[in-house]
Amino acid sequence: MLKYGYGGRILRVDLTQRKYSIEDLDPSWVRPVIGGRAANTKRLFEELDPGCDPLGPDNILIFGIGPLTGSLLTASAYYTVTAKSPLTGILGDSAAGGQFAAEMKLTGFDQVIITGKADTLVYLLITESGVEFVDCPEYKGKIITETTEAIRRERNDYSIQVAAIGPAGENLVLFSSIVSSGNRVNGRAGMGAVMGSKNLKAVAVMGSLSLDVADPLAFLSEVEKIDKAILSHDEYQKRYQMGTTMLMKDLNNIGILPTRHFQEGVCKYVDEISGQKLARTYKVKNKSCFNCNVHCSRYYMVDDHEAEGPEFETLCSFTSRLGNRDLPFALEMSQYLNQMGMDSLSTAEVIGWIMECQEKGLVRPDDLDGLSITWGEKEKIREVVDMIVFRRGIGDRLANGATKLSEGFSKEAKKLVMQVKGLDMICGDPRGIKAYGLTYAVASRGADHLRAEPYFELTNRKEEAKKRFGTEKAADRLLEEGKAALVTYSEKIALITDSLTMCKNVGLCMDILNFENVSSLLRYGTGVDYSPDYLRKITADLIDLEHELNKKLGVNREDDTLPERFQNEPLTEGPTKGSTVDIKRMVDEYRKIHKWED
Amino acid sequence: MIKVDISKCTGCKKCETICAFFRSGKVNRRLARMKVLNLYETGVDGPVVCLQCQERYCLSCPEDAIKVGSYGQIIVSQTRCTLCGVCEKACPIGAIEMFKEIVFVCDLCGGRPKCVEACTEGAIAYEPGEKEGPSLAAFKKETKKMNPSQKRQLYLKKLGSELREIWRRPDA
Repeated sequence: MLKYGYGGRILRVDLTQRKYSIEDLDPSWVRPVIGGRAANTKRLFEELDPGCDPLGPDNILIFGIGPLTGSLLTASAYYTVTAKSPLTGILGDSAAGGQFAAEMKLTGFDQVIITGKADTLVYLLITESGVEFVDCPEYKGKIITETTEAIRRERNDYSIQVAAIGPAGENLVLFSSIVSSGNRVNGRAGMGAVMGSKNLKAVAVMGSLSLDVADPLAFLSEVEKIDKAILSHDEYQKRYQMGTTMLMKDLNNIGILPTRHFQEGVCKYVDEISGQKLARTYKVKNKSCFNCNVHCSRYYMVDDHEAEGPEFETLCSFTSRLGNRDLPFALEMSQYLNQMGMDSLSTAEVIGWIMECQEKGLVRPDDLDGLSITWGEKEKIREVVDMIVFRRGIGDRLANGATKLSEGFSKEAKKLVMQVKGLDMICGDPRGIKAYGLTYAVASRGADHLRAEPYFELTNRKEEAKKRFGTEKAADRLLEEGKAALVTYSEKIALITDSLTMCKNVGLCMDILNFENVSSLLRYGTGVDYSPDYLRKITADLIDLEHELNKKLGVNREDDTLPERFQNEPLTEGPTKGSTVDIKRMVDEYRKIHKWED
Repeated sequence: MIKVDISKCTGCKKCETICAFFRSGKVNRRLARMKVLNLYETGVDGPVVCLQCQERYCLSCPEDAIKVGSYGQIIVSQTRCTLCGVCEKACPIGAIEMFKEIVFVCDLCGGRPKCVEACTEGAIAYEPGEKEGPSLAAFKKETKKMNPSQKRQLYLKKLGSELREIWRRPDA
């Protein structure tokens, strides 16, 4: 039995039969996966029929937390949702912070595994005693905060936490999201559509079990060391003031802020859309995830709307990436997407791709039911987003994402989709951040930074680079050298962070977690022995496992690449001018380290 | 008494988490003597804790298990208490609540409240000299028949609407 840290139980829910079962979590099964993302991946690997329809009843939707989730460990507020992705057809998962995970911990379930399809719209109320299946056809069309509020009111309990889908998930938009805590988003890879396909409007959690750690005082002492490192960190003030929106200016300053769909890396009007401007003009207070002392999220008010957020990816997606210089409009889009439950990155990619293709004459309005749209056209953007959410008119095709939309067009047009393995690229031009470029290329869920978040390459620590990765060049963002080693290290810490489950801004970007302190946290937290070497070994094994799973799902060697633009077309302005990515070289080196032959 | 400034609260729940941990060695919001709510639809967050109200509604305890300490804090005799629930029903803001046969209410941690130390935002302060809080007579009327969670929600929503007026001012 797992006594400490873990709840020690998993919950299986069959929506078709409306039945559930509770199993003990096998200690020998969980030790080499820790929890969270890695445990979810292993579950998917063991139980998924690789050929299943991602939007069919056989797809497995897993909510997972880790042994230290919701504990005294700062920022241990994350949960991961995993399934076969309907957007990409490969491993799909997405994590979110907020308050949901900490409440899930109190139910005593480390994993909730959902299969089948309900015959009418339902929500699940999960408590420590099990599951209640609640029919809620009247919730159809409800936005996220309405759904949360309705469930809390129905149950007369305002501590209930809810992870819900909005209209986009109900309408099976392939990049729809799951949202909890008002604005905390499991955004990527279409987890919302998987919920929608199961007729599952929301998962509500309400627990009353306690989280015990094996050695409370030793654990607290480790946590205090981590708190000290966070509060004295160079970036603390900046992150406190702006959160990730600080990256608008930071990335622009090094010439990699995606502008007009990655055609440029310098945005002339960045001061009008920056994190600084947002904090100065519209922010009314800081917001936080469970038990975090960075408090990096923000609540803002504009004349006619208000919300928590946005994070950098959404802000950039609806400003420079689409050529829009109107900050309140981007805030409006952020709020709208979060409430409708749709991923901002994939939404912006499908719109950005159309804008660039129409500018270049590769896609005509006639090809898209008369849609004609160009940079910064706010009214049109608003209208198109709405059409996607409800799959109205041409929105029905756009709702399948840029990659699938591009299939009917010319080779030139297809090449302009900024994606890897079908997942739309995040905001950060890889021509000026090579380790990120490699991460996008090899990441097991597609073009995404969070699998490794090699923020180290932006911190200019040459000596540390030599020590950790064997070459000072690993600290030079414009060079390919040393980046395979950097990513190989970073992806392990990212995996541990996701498995504990902690926030990667804290664990990784702020360079707070390492094999040594994680070893102590796990030992004092769970009472199970985890040496730093054992952690190195299991994380390497787990990266291999993701690779194997994706091979089963059809991923090939050739899929580990970047869009041609980043390999062949140098940026023409700014501090990244002239640079392109030699992606083949980095991928080859990375695969050699991993001993992946195929 | 404990004073809360919800304009500074980010909703992180460190206060609530530490409160439960220092009394029990466990993490569980139900073991805390202050309860944090996040009202997502309005952006308002805040801990609800005993205000040491003028009326002292909880003293209506039929077993005489509750008394007021020298700092104005509530002291519950867990041996006299029969878990009848009168105090929980009586408190207009849900600051006193039973869980697993124990009555949970803030007792100021013997004079060094851990929640105050835990808050990095300065949203919670301890004023040992102030022993008598505000009147909750108005709330009492509104919260009849509500459970503690509903009462806390209503109380925080009221405080929140005042805060939101300040947010809306152009010079804010």
